[in-house]
Amino acid sequence: MSSFLNTPSLGYRVEGLLAKPGSGLVALLVLFIIAMTFVAPSFLSFGNWENIANQAVFVLLLALGMTIVLIARGIDLSVGSVMGLSAGVAAFLINQGLIFPLALLAGIGCGLICGLLNALMITKLGLPDFVATLAMLGVARGVLFLWTEGTPFTRYMTPEYRLVGGQVKLGGIITIPIIVAVVLCILVSLMLRKSLIGRHLYAVGGSPDAARLSGISVSAVKTFAYVVSGGCAGLAGVILAGRATNVAPTLGTGYEILAITAAIIGGAALTGGQGRMVGAILGALTITLIANAMNIAGVTSEWQQVVTGIILLLAILLDRITAYFKKRQTSAEIEQSPQQEPTPATAPRRAIS
Amino acid sequence: METTPTRNENGTSGSTRRNILGAGALMGTLGLLTACTTPPGGSTAGGGSGGGGGGGAEGSAEFTDAVKKLVNGRTLQVGFTPPVLSEYYTQMENAAFTRMAQLEDLYGVQWKWEKSSPTGNFNAVEQQISTVQTWTSRKFDIVFICTGANFATMQGVYKNAMDAGTSIFQFNQPVELYPIDQINTVSNIGYDNRWQSGYVAGKFIADTLKGKGKIVQIMGPSGSDWTKARLIGFNQAMAENPGIEVVGTADGGYLRDKGLSAAQDLLTRHRDINAIYGENEDMALGASQAVDAAGLKQWDGSEGIVIVGADGLLSGMEAIRNGKLTASVDVNSVDNAIRMIDTAFQSVVLKNYVPKISNITTHLVTKDNVDAHAAYINGIMDPAKKY
Repeated sequence: MSSFLNTPSLGYRVEGLLAKPGSGLVALLVLFIIAMTFVAPSFLSFGNWENIANQAVFVLLLALGMTIVLIARGIDLSVGSVMGLSAGVAAFLINQGLIFPLALLAGIGCGLICGLLNALMITKLGLPDFVATLAMLGVARGVLFLWTEGTPFTRYMTPEYRLVGGQVKLGGIITIPIIVAVVLCILVSLMLRKSLIGRHLYAVGGSPDAARLSGISVSAVKTFAYVVSGGCAGLAGVILAGRATNVAPTLGTGYEILAITAAIIGGAALTGGQGRMVGAILGALTITLIANAMNIAGVTSEWQQVVTGIILLLAILLDRITAYFKKRQTSAEIEQSPQQEPTPATAPRRAIS
Repeated sequence: METTPTRNENGTSGSTRRNILGAGALMGTLGLLTACTTPPGGSTAGGGSGGGGGGGAEGSAEFTDAVKKLVNGRTLQVGFTPPVLSEYYTQMENAAFTRMAQLEDLYGVQWKWEKSSPTGNFNAVEQQISTVQTWTSRKFDIVFICTGANFATMQGVYKNAMDAGTSIFQFNQPVELYPIDQINTVSNIGYDNRWQSGYVAGKFIADTLKGKGKIVQIMGPSGSDWTKARLIGFNQAMAENPGIEVVGTADGGYLRDKGLSAAQDLLTRHRDINAIYGENEDMALGASQAVDAAGLKQWDGSEGIVIVGADGLLSGMEAIRNGKLTASVDVNSVDNAIRMIDTAFQSVVLKNYVPKISNITTHLVTKDNVDAHAAYINGIMDPAKKY
């Protein structure tokens, strides 16, 4: 941000830190964690952080897909249902005797197909994103209800699936869901920052018309976003089936709200063109951390809802404060070096230009 | 009118008696199929001579013919709306079909069956209100409902339906929390969640731990009537056993993965617990996984963590058999459904006065008796006819 030669004052440097996207949220999380260590020292134990990481994986996978969709100025309400249906596909096929890796791939494939159907409804039929994915939310859930006839799929668990579901640690060190989440985070981050499709996503989300004029196929970009989101939901579903050890027709219900919340806490905007992979991680971690901490602190579930709401609100407000400092920094930099082009406030602007 | 069972009737000491009655119910059912004479009231579980039974001394040719005349080949249009589609309600539906087919064979009553359940989460209740209203306008004879909706809201919906000629029967609903004169249904078939579920689980834990130990609870969604009612009974059992301490509670949303996460969180702070109470079986099974994952030992008959759930699902019984669940309160999906069909038949067709509250028996299932209870449910899972 600021040049070394300018030797900025301490206040300026603090402001610089505060201006970093997500810094407010990190500060909030740090304060929260410090407070929790007084309530229950066991909160800081390695085992608990392992639990938090394993619990956060599902929201994180969905939030990654959701962030991509939100960047492209869409929204995917179907992820919870698609997650459940994909879990059902994997469990059913294992019970039918299909070999384990193929059953998992079929589950993920189910997510990809649902994502593609969402995209086709939006790009070919011209349905609003909200409506198309809302329809998919209903259809995918309904199909799972009809298919299971209300009775959960069971008896599909194998030693390998226990490993994939994170019930057993790989080599006694780390669970597969965490490895999958880390790899996916790296891939998504590279895709968003380094690839052409990443820049196109921001361009389409920032201004679809401008993107179209500059020769970007908005349909293709949107299709990519929804297929990735569907694939993430499929992946989350097959892993969740391994964690839950049964696929109830209600599996994954309500996860769409968690995913959207995580993405938005992480800085993605419903208006498109904004969002980062790190944001999705922070968002998913915040949601999981709050639930975990309150269970440990013994906060009753009625109060948990109130506290969760307030903390989410605080997270968003802190983001606003971050934006304020960023604005101040940017204008300060302009004043200091009028010739130098200011650092773009957000990536999309860069992508569009 | 049936009175609320006393707590003493529902202690572990009563379980043997209920098992015998449960077996009696099965015999009664078989008796109906072969049209042999069964004693009055012996046809349904728990000696429910009031709400149960097809109407008295079933099986005698004279009685059967007379009832057949009353029925006159009538077709009953029935709506069945559980709060969620789940294994419990699938078991109930199969038991209902089994009993409906028996009544059809015996008395010539015809059934038209429709099922509707909210496809969202447990709290998606608006859908059920409109379902009842639609069925009422379609002149259904009978609506069987169990709902997570607000009590007062539903009484208004029920009153409108009953005024329009549709008879409403609630099943598996914690009506014990409300004044009986405010319930606008013909009858409520179920069990007392306080003393036939929550108390039973609490007492079992206390007895198993010999009155001393620490417990954590994984409960249903906050504010749920089932949760409220079961906690009343559970807390009573705790009050009777001051050596048992509840050290933590978390919301498991009646779901296995949420129950697992909640149990993991609680185990972080309380690794020295002796028992986990899961308000339903799915959450208890999630807790069971959490105990395994934390490297802790489950109850083996002399030591380890006692895990108790409630529902009476075939999958739960398999877990008990495999040592993954210490015990579960079986709230008797089979008798719930049989009593529901019988009560509706008696009320709507025979115009009998049925009890407003009709409670069935519940059972505490452990490794020792799991085979009998699983067999009882398996006996209805393949009904002679599906509707």
